[in-house]
Amino acid sequence: MIGDSYRDKTEDELVRASLDGDRLAFGEIVRRNQGMVARTVKGMLGNTVDAEDVGQDVFIKLYRSLQDFRGDSKLPAYIQKIAVNLTLNELKRRKRYLSVFARKDNAEIPRLEIAAYDDEEKRDASEIVSRALMNLNPKYRMVVTMRMLQGYSTKETAEMLDLPVGTVLSRLARAQSQLREILKKL
Amino acid sequence: MENSELKKLIISSLDSDTDPAETCKRLQDKGVSFNFSNGFTDRVLDAIAASGLVVAMNKNEIEDSIRIIFYRIAIGGVAAILILFVSIMLSEESFSLNSLLGLSNSYDESIICLLTGK
Repeated sequence: MIGDSYRDKTEDELVRASLDGDRLAFGEIVRRNQGMVARTVKGMLGNTVDAEDVGQDVFIKLYRSLQDFRGDSKLPAYIQKIAVNLTLNELKRRKRYLSVFARKDNAEIPRLEIAAYDDEEKRDASEIVSRALMNLNPKYRMVVTMRMLQGYSTKETAEMLDLPVGTVLSRLARAQSQLREILKKL
Repeated sequence: MENSELKKLIISSLDSDTDPAETCKRLQDKGVSFNFSNGFTDRVLDAIAASGLVVAMNKNEIEDSIRIIFYRIAIGGVAAILILFVSIMLSEESFSLNSLLGLSNSYDESIICLLTGK
């Protein structure tokens, strides 16, 4: 459990303390940013064990690269960038895996089956969003996650994903029409 | 909350004229949240400890530490050499090459005897 004394510390103070080997200070950085990382990672990968592992890897990578953090950007943006990169790597890994093991006559990457619920009330809001996202094409899923779950503007999304603004806009429009169809079945 | 309301909100969140930060907040208010399982922070810290990562120390600090160690060894070496010279000076009362080599009190015959064994 992280002590309350860390809760009042600023980002810079926590970074400096972590660089001095203070594990609890780094723990506070993890605590403050894990929600943001979870939204990105779980939004893109689904609520899976893999997503937990990727989330963990995000903070391990952050710990390794903390000395390179110059403070030019804000720490959450730096962490978000790591989360996006590692999540994209995981998506590529999954794609490779599926391309090897998927049947030849079904070249398209299989999507999750949409399960029908008998009782609408039982459906949790997060689960609906998660299932909708997982049935989206992965390249649309990324921009939707950034916008819908992180609240990023088109420009911020474009910067985060290293995409032109026009590409983000067109993907959002296509994602929206795909989501309409997906949500009808949920 | 009606699911249809949530679905509308999901769709409208992607409209180009909506404020993404505002719709994101509204979704959160509707109960949309993604979190890691309990004990995530502890697991991250344990993984870091288990992997033996010590890179938290700033690279510059490591360089500084190495530099300090080097200076200490160098200063120690210089001090040892000076003590050696002073002790030679005191014992031999001269500072010639022979005294430095420890040959000042030896006769030529002794050296030849030492080298040849005869």
